[in-house]
Amino acid sequence: MNVKVQRYDPDQDEKPHFQTYLVEVNEGARVLHVLHAIHDEIDPTLSYRWCCGSGQCGSCAVRVNGEPVLACMEEARDGMTVEPLKLPVKKDLIVDLEPALEALSHLEPGDKPAMPSKEEVELIKPLRSCIGCLACISVCPAMDVTSFAGPTAMRQNLRLALDPRDSKDRVTDAVTKGLFTCTSCQACWKVCPKDIQLPGKAIEKLRSLANKKGLTLPRHQEVAKLVRETGRSVTRTEPTFMEQVGEVIEPYGPVKATVGFFVGCMYNQRLPKTALDAMEVLRRNGIRVIIPKEQVCCGSPLIRTGQWDFLDTLKRRNIDAFAFRDIDTVLTMCAGCGSTLKNDYKTPFRVMDINELLTRYGIEPPARLPLKATYHDPCHLMRGQGIRDLPRELITQVVDLVEMPAICCGSGGGVRSGVPEEAAALAEKRREEIEKTGADIVISSCPFCEFHIMEHTDRPVKNVTTLLLEGYREKDKKKAEKAV
Amino acid sequence: MYVYDPPYNKMRSAEVLDCHVLVVGSGGAGVRAAIEASGYGETILVSKTLTGKGGCTTMAEGGYNAVLREQDSCEIHFEDTMKGGAYLNDPELVHILVDEAPKRIGDLLHWGAVFDVTDCCEVAQRPFGGQRFPRTCYAGDRTGHEMMATLVERLAGADVDVMNEVTVLDLLKDGDRVIGAVGLNERSELVAVRADSTVLATGGGTRMYDISTNSSSGTGDGFAIGYRAGAELIDMEMVQFHPTGAVYPYDARGRLITEAVRGEGGILKNSLGERFMSRYDPERMELSTRDVVSRAIATEILEGRCTPHGGVYLDVTHLPRQQIEEKLPVMLEQFLKFGVDIRDEPMEVAPTAHHMMGGLRITRNGETTIPGLFACGEVTGGVHGANRLGGNALADTQVFGKRAGEAAGKAGKKTGRIDQGAMDAQETRLSAFFEGEVPPSTVARSLRTAMWEGAGIFRTAKGLEKTLGVITHLSSLPLKAAGQSNLAECCILQNMLITASLVVRGALIRKESRGAHVRKDVTQAWDPQTSPYGHSYQSLTRSGIETVVKA
Repeated sequence: MNVKVQRYDPDQDEKPHFQTYLVEVNEGARVLHVLHAIHDEIDPTLSYRWCCGSGQCGSCAVRVNGEPVLACMEEARDGMTVEPLKLPVKKDLIVDLEPALEALSHLEPGDKPAMPSKEEVELIKPLRSCIGCLACISVCPAMDVTSFAGPTAMRQNLRLALDPRDSKDRVTDAVTKGLFTCTSCQACWKVCPKDIQLPGKAIEKLRSLANKKGLTLPRHQEVAKLVRETGRSVTRTEPTFMEQVGEVIEPYGPVKATVGFFVGCMYNQRLPKTALDAMEVLRRNGIRVIIPKEQVCCGSPLIRTGQWDFLDTLKRRNIDAFAFRDIDTVLTMCAGCGSTLKNDYKTPFRVMDINELLTRYGIEPPARLPLKATYHDPCHLMRGQGIRDLPRELITQVVDLVEMPAICCGSGGGVRSGVPEEAAALAEKRREEIEKTGADIVISSCPFCEFHIMEHTDRPVKNVTTLLLEGYREKDKKKAEKAV
Repeated sequence: MYVYDPPYNKMRSAEVLDCHVLVVGSGGAGVRAAIEASGYGETILVSKTLTGKGGCTTMAEGGYNAVLREQDSCEIHFEDTMKGGAYLNDPELVHILVDEAPKRIGDLLHWGAVFDVTDCCEVAQRPFGGQRFPRTCYAGDRTGHEMMATLVERLAGADVDVMNEVTVLDLLKDGDRVIGAVGLNERSELVAVRADSTVLATGGGTRMYDISTNSSSGTGDGFAIGYRAGAELIDMEMVQFHPTGAVYPYDARGRLITEAVRGEGGILKNSLGERFMSRYDPERMELSTRDVVSRAIATEILEGRCTPHGGVYLDVTHLPRQQIEEKLPVMLEQFLKFGVDIRDEPMEVAPTAHHMMGGLRITRNGETTIPGLFACGEVTGGVHGANRLGGNALADTQVFGKRAGEAAGKAGKKTGRIDQGAMDAQETRLSAFFEGEVPPSTVARSLRTAMWEGAGIFRTAKGLEKTLGVITHLSSLPLKAAGQSNLAECCILQNMLITASLVVRGALIRKESRGAHVRKDVTQAWDPQTSPYGHSYQSLTRSGIETVVKA
């Protein structure tokens, strides 16, 4: 098979370059075996790190076609590109792992340490399977712009905080190491070869322990207070979406499906216009929408920031609002709400993102607009719900799409309110990527991303459904012109 | 700090460090030794890899044997170990192993190890082969990883200087005494460490076989380094073939399938669907000792009752899915990656070279036969005899790691001088590789094939002689370093060749079948307990086999 490998020898090369090799390996060979074949048969100077060859030591993590993987476990593919992790490169595929590994906290036993109970062991065990490959650290966007010890450092701190044998205050330590800088983008979890759910199981849990110690950021406390008092995580700036619509919105044509709409705080209070655009698109496409008015905040801002006491009330109110009306499918158009309902709730109904709904039932073709767009993948849609291609299917029916790397915009995880300078720095990096694409407009599918990116780019930022609606308006206009 | 200026190659310069105890090796034994030694003086740990990642401890899956329950006893653990080892074990070392294994797991628990526990908050134990009590403590099937994680954390809190990615080339001596070691760092610069005491904890070496469970570091360096320095090694012919290694994908063949799979109830079947262990050990079945199970599987395969990929079936599909998910998560995950869901389909397995029972001869405190040099873990011989019980290696690393570290730490300050001539000799050795002709990878491949064919599970004098001939030939080839980064590889390959020759010579010396060592060309009138032979031994100055005078 043909493979492209990044080579770099600091003694000889000014900068890294790619080299292509043609190697023979056996069926089922892993990336590591391809590297062995290059080293043994073609070029012994190729340097790469490996030890156990069975996914247990974390020595051999590399990027294959851009994605961090363990070379020993990932099946080799013809035409693949192998690069080092995005960490300081020592030579070829070898990166410097030592600083981050050495910075991990270690257990310091107290005088009379008590053994953990079975329950505690079960809590700690999932955090112990880390093999220190540092794939998580190599993809963490927060670490690029702010002082953050990184996902696996947080994992280790929680592991120690949960262990009765440890004598130190790991929660306060985690806060000083940047606990509140994580945007919960989940990039770390998605690349973890051991599938450790770092934001959900480590960082949010540590934040909840920090909450018990009174270490929650003041801005996050304000949000929690607002939710408790108003049922909403943001204040209103204009008439809300729910004030502008009735409880049922009927489609123009025959009903293809009926869904309950979970509006979410941002679309209800801050971006009602976008939600109204979405309703118009649904009306044109045969979707009947029921909007229970007693619905409240999904609780995501509280979950992400570790403020968990009020959650059960919110969850019950929301589930009841839809279950009472016998709704079997609940629609979300906020990526954050959708991810929360899907992953943090146990719902008696199915939850569908609007991109899923529209592609499932099919849409009336819109007219094309003479624009070049780029799409920003919302973390809570792409990683939280695994929805990557569906919005692209919709967007490309209206405009040409230019891709950019999928990186967090900085608005999630309470970072926009809690650590605004970090959120701004991440959005600034988005702006740079947007400019590189040369796109006329930016499309996304999450109110937090849309609102945040809008502040950092001079290009219009629009929701997928708004773009579709503009396609429909163009279509109507052309039709009207023809009629004249 | 004195900076050595080499006469031959001005590109390199040797850094010389000084300490009380130098530990070579960063697996379970090495790190345990360094932690212990650091209580007595400045300690340096040198690792060929990144500490915590290399070595085989972190790959060990199944468990750690320790007597923890009232119904069990150290005496039974001792008997199981001796019987499993075909009575070739050093009884004194075995007594120490079984007596101290519980204390050493206590250390690990004190330092934060997260083993599986019972409802009563006791460390959980599972049955393992050749043992009459379920005494194998575990953390799922990532026990070694859990231990290494704990040890590395403890090491971070200890006063130890860790030098990562330094390949030790040789021990340094002043007269008869070992006074440290010389190595190559990741930039291929020479590094010398002078030490009052040196501990070898370099692990095993079954990467000299075509099919092996070992990590990249299992290249037998310590055996060769110790041998060249004049230490005596015993029972080097005793190589454990683990019964269950992966057979697919081909390039990952040999990958360990933990004994815990059988401990949890996995059964072995041949291609005819027969549970064939009933023919080889009807009493213990799949949980017989590893030498017996390996030979049984090898026989089934040789006689043609094998699976499409040339193994036998190891089946857990009859077990509750939850048990597989909770007790064998690593196995489940690995096989899923390779396209097999072990909850629904059997695994295909075949024997794979796993563990070196032989090694440097040691005393109860890890002293080798040369002053100033201590050893612990897989690089030593005597603890496991002719066949190691699953779960005893992890215990060995902790028990003898602590002992060697402590003894090295307690040994007095010594004045020793690094001999300029020895450093120059290393320079000459390294420079020659740039003039060499044969890539080490080519030599390694030939060595692995020859070892698998001639010094594998079933051996004959003829096959061994042939393999020895190949090793001798390969050792004469001028190895070629294509660049600076290949120098260490060349040195490591020379170590592999020496260690391989020790295995083959030991196998020729021992004219009996015992434990893992089977000589098909020898008929014997004794069983292990009545064998006239004791340890085989090899050093620069002598080699032979001890004969036992039975009372």
